[in-house]
Parts: sequence; structure tokens; C-alpha cells
Amino acid sequence: MWQVYFKELTELLRDKKTLIFVILLPILIFPVLFGIVGLVMATTTSKAMEEQHRYVIINEQQAPEFAEALFYHKNFKKVETTLNSEQELIAAIRNEEFDVALVIPADFARRKDAVEQTEWQLIYNRSSQLDFMYNYFDEMLKEYTETLQRGTLSQLGVDPANLTAILKPVELTRVNTAEQRENIGESMGAILAYALVLLCLSGAMYPAVDMGAGEKERGTLETLLICPVSRTAIVLGKFLTVLTTALMTALITVVSLGVWGAIISAFADLSKVSEALASITIVDLMLMFSLLLPTAAIFAALLLAISIYARTFKEAQNYMSPLTILVIVPLMIAMAPGMELDVTTALIPLTNIALAIKELLKGTADYGLLALIFASTTALAGALIAFCVHWFQQEKVLFR
Amino acid sequence: MIEIKGLAKAFAISKGNKLSDTEKQDVRYSEKAFHSVRDVSFTCGNGEVLGLLGPNGAGKTTTLRMLSTALKQDSGSVFINDIDVLQKPIQARKEIGFLSADTGLYGKLTAFENIAYFARLHGMKEAAIKSRIEELFTMLDMHDFANRRVDTMSTGMKQKTAIARAVVHSPKVVILDEPTTGLDIMTVQTVLDFIKSLKAQGTPVIFSTHHLDEVGALCDRVVVIDKGVSSFSGSLAEFKQLTPDGDLRQAFLAVIANQPQQGAA
Repeated sequence: MWQVYFKELTELLRDKKTLIFVILLPILIFPVLFGIVGLVMATTTSKAMEEQHRYVIINEQQAPEFAEALFYHKNFKKVETTLNSEQELIAAIRNEEFDVALVIPADFARRKDAVEQTEWQLIYNRSSQLDFMYNYFDEMLKEYTETLQRGTLSQLGVDPANLTAILKPVELTRVNTAEQRENIGESMGAILAYALVLLCLSGAMYPAVDMGAGEKERGTLETLLICPVSRTAIVLGKFLTVLTTALMTALITVVSLGVWGAIISAFADLSKVSEALASITIVDLMLMFSLLLPTAAIFAALLLAISIYARTFKEAQNYMSPLTILVIVPLMIAMAPGMELDVTTALIPLTNIALAIKELLKGTADYGLLALIFASTTALAGALIAFCVHWFQQEKVLFR
Repeated sequence: MIEIKGLAKAFAISKGNKLSDTEKQDVRYSEKAFHSVRDVSFTCGNGEVLGLLGPNGAGKTTTLRMLSTALKQDSGSVFINDIDVLQKPIQARKEIGFLSADTGLYGKLTAFENIAYFARLHGMKEAAIKSRIEELFTMLDMHDFANRRVDTMSTGMKQKTAIARAVVHSPKVVILDEPTTGLDIMTVQTVLDFIKSLKAQGTPVIFSTHHLDEVGALCDRVVVIDKGVSSFSGSLAEFKQLTPDGDLRQAFLAVIANQPQQGAA
């Protein structure tokens, strides 16, 4: 078994594809991913914030102070128009004659003096992902309405010093009992588990294809089968190699995440994140690894069984593609809001692992449930390994 | 000594596969199975070279796979030096050196690493592996490419490496499946010389081939397999006597012509 294991490992380490998928990808995936997302977000946001919108204002004489504030806003440029109906304004915006129209009611000034509420209409295209338009107007309206409120209250004989208390007699403040680690674990845990489990799968996939269908295609399997070694030893040697690469991928990812996290923390003010992450103990990390171990074993056994069945490399890849979707679904379930680890979810394969990793990151893990997850996942992995060994004894599978 | 008696092997036909008209006429096809090997018997004594002949798809490779324990026969028996391959496959494998039609080498390993890997799988010690590989490198003139990766080798180099891999554990019996196919003249000569050296050592050698000149030059015994049946098994002299002028090609064609080509499928 160990002869097969070390030989397979040597071959894999000499393979460029393995080096890319098992080592390079996990090292670079986070900085590249975060870098690209960050760059795109920063560029898009900056562009959106610098953009100058052409606007028309209907009945501006009704609110001259607001019209003046809007005129001097750096993100707006006034356009004159004779249009005034809603349909005409919408059509003009669709024809790109201007970007936004603010419709102030024709009787606004009168109704304001009569202390009546009015409705202003903001017409614009909301399909943009970054909707700064509403924010700009909302911000300006807050200032404008506060001025109006102060004026109205003065007219009513109320001391303007009491304005805040009159407008909002009760202010609700939140006192969070969750520790910083719990907050970060809740937001990061599910995503990290998702990434780790999927990386285990991707780390196992290529070596599994190579060691089953690849051997068949190259004609080396037959030579191996006639060596005086039991087929159980051969398949276990191959299984251990796939398991190693799957775990290596996950391990390299975690180390890469830690290193890049430290680099980013050095340049940005993320002391709270650093403190929270520092509170994760070695025991927590070992527990995470002990949960990933049977998970990776499940993938290794399953992928190897598929690969042994396939006649060619391509056929094996075709069989494996749907498996990725089958893995993603239970991980997505774990990411759903309100999903908690309990006895039921502890028995759902992969969902249980994702939830457990999240709990471990939060520091709120129930060790009884962790034991249940470890036992059920190990049992499943054991059954799949037994199936894989049985599968490898079948002539109809090996010589299809 | 290799003894094969009444060997048979069938493969199930997938439910979705419908037989063509030609297949329906073929005696080897039944409704549910393809009887690749139906009745093959022959013996190969120590120091004998046996040439296994037959048209493509006749059942030669399946027969050799059963001999090498890669496949289990449905019926019949195979004894390698009195070891029943069905009962004691691991023990039988220690006795066999097998070279498949593919070279069966790992592209990312060097010639040395490939041979050493199989030597270890045969339970050889590191010191014995080194001296045996050195011996084989000299015998097959492989020193120039000993540490070269297989995926960068020429066909001839690969075949020499495959032969060295097949016999690294000094097997008592050697089985070669089309060992000279696709090789240049120089490499073919190396392979043939190697078979002669095995014969000289008293090792029984079975090799399947389509080259009748190799059979004439090397073989003591000839077996012709056609449609899964050993339709001829005898000495080279007996094979030559099948035609008046002793021409091997004509003898081969005569055996195939006498074989019933169609049966009650």
C-alpha cells in the first residue's frame, strides 16, 4: 500500500496540473479573488461617486432653498426643460435627455405653510447596482426638512432647542452581547467552510481522475493488477494519495488565508479582526481539521470509485461535474439565514461540517454535536471506502 | 511450466447494446454475453518459446490476461509451475513476468524509477533492486536513458524499459503480448535476443504476435486461437507440416480456414 502511495505522490508532484490545483491555486486564490473584487468595487464606486447627473426640477420655485442646494451639488448638473407630466419625464430619461427628474408639487409652498405632508417624486433609472442617486437626494432632503421643521416649530411657539426630543422622543440603542469573535465567526464562518470543503473537493478531483481512469487510458493499470499485491492494498494506496492532496489543498488554503490576512492587517486597521482571530485556539483548529479529514475521505473514496469506473480521463471528468453541484447545495443550505447546528442538522452530510466550522470560529461549538458529526461523517467515509475497495475488485469495472 | 486446459471467459453485453447482423452470425455472441474465449488449451514447458497466433479480436489478449491473473476465467484451469492461478493468484503473480501490449509505464517516472517501483511491489530489497536493475540495463543497453523520464523517451526506449520492468523480479514464466509491434528493426532485434536469452535460461516464454518470421525464428511451439478456440496447438514442425511447402503464412491461413466461422448463436 505504501509503495503505491509514495509512487503516486511522486508522480503527482511532478505534474504541473497538480501543482497548479493543489498548491498554486490555494495560495493565490484569496489575494487574487479579494484583489479583483476589491479593485472592481473600488473602480465602480469611485466612478459612480464622481459621475455628474443631469437633472431637471419641476416647480422649483416652490422650494427655492432646496433647488439652490441641488444646483451647487458637485454630482448634479441642471438641465432646462418644458416637460412636466410624469410620462413625458420618464420618456425623456429613457431617451437619455437627462438622468433624473425631481417633481415638487405645484402647491408645496401653500401646503408647507398649512403644515400638511407632501410627496416629492424622484424619477430615474434604478437598474444601476450602485444607487447613489437616492442617497444624494435623501441626504439633501434631511437637511432641508430639518430647516423646515425648525421654522414650523418656531411658528408654533416651540423652543427650537427641544427640536430633537420632539421629533424623536425615543432613541433605540443596541448593546451587543456577542463577542467580537462571535460576530466575525457568524459572518465569516459559513464562507470559510464553503471554501474549505470545495477546495477539498477540487484538490481531490484531478489526482482521483489520474489514478483511476488515467491509469486505464495509459495502460498502466493492467501492469499494476498483476503485481503480487492485493487489490485492496492498491486501492487504499491510491485512496490515501487522493486524501493527502485534498487535505493539502485545504491546509495550504488556511495557511495562505492566515498569511495574507496578516499582510492585509499590517496595512489596514483591522485590529478587532486580528484580536478575534487570535482568540481561535489550536484546539479549535485541530477540531476543524478533524472534521475536514472524514469529509476529504468521503470525496477521495467517491471520486476514486467514479474514476475507476470511467474508461477515459474525459469520461471521468464528465461523471464528476454533477458532483460539484451536489456538494454545493448542502453548503448553501448551511449559509442560509437562521440555520443553526442541532441534532437534525448534525446528521445532514456537508451541511453539518459547514455549520460546525462556523460554530468553532464563533467559539460557541457544542462538543457533543461535534462528536456526533465526526462519528456520522466517519461512518459515511468508511462505508464509501469499503465500496471503493469492493468496486476495485470488479472485473466489469476494471475492464469495461 | 504453463498448463492451460479448457479456458473460457465471457463478458456481459450491456442491455442497451443491440447486436449487429454480423455479430448475430458470430458464434461467440449470445443474447446476453460475448464469449471472448471459449475453449483454449495448451502447454508450454521449461525452456520452450510458444508463439500465440490469431487474427485481431480472436481472444489472444483475453487468454494472456487470464494467464497473468488480471482476469479470472469462467471455467477451465491455468497452472503456472503447478500453482493454480485462480486459487493462489498472489503466489502465481510472483512467478510471472508480463508485458502488455501497452508498455504499461508511468510517464512522469524515469526508467530506473519505473523498474524499481515494480521491483518493490514484488517485495524485492533495495540492494537486490539496484544490482538487478544494473544487470538489466547492461543486458538491454539502457544506461544512456536510465534517468530519463519515460514521457520523453522514444518508442524503442520505452519498450526496453517495459521489458526490464516485466522481468525485474526474475520471473519463472514470461508472457509477452505483441512485444515487437511498432518497433524499429534494432529494437525488435533486442527484444528477440532477449527472448532467446530467457529460453537459454530455461524460462518458458509465451508471446503473442502477428509476425510469422519471428515465430519461425524463435518458437518451439505454436498455438493458433480463432474465435476464442485454440484451433491448433503443436510443435513448430507440426505447424509447418500443415502445408506441403512448410510456409508459415499458408499454415496459419489453413488453420483459420478449417475453423467453423459461423455457429448457432
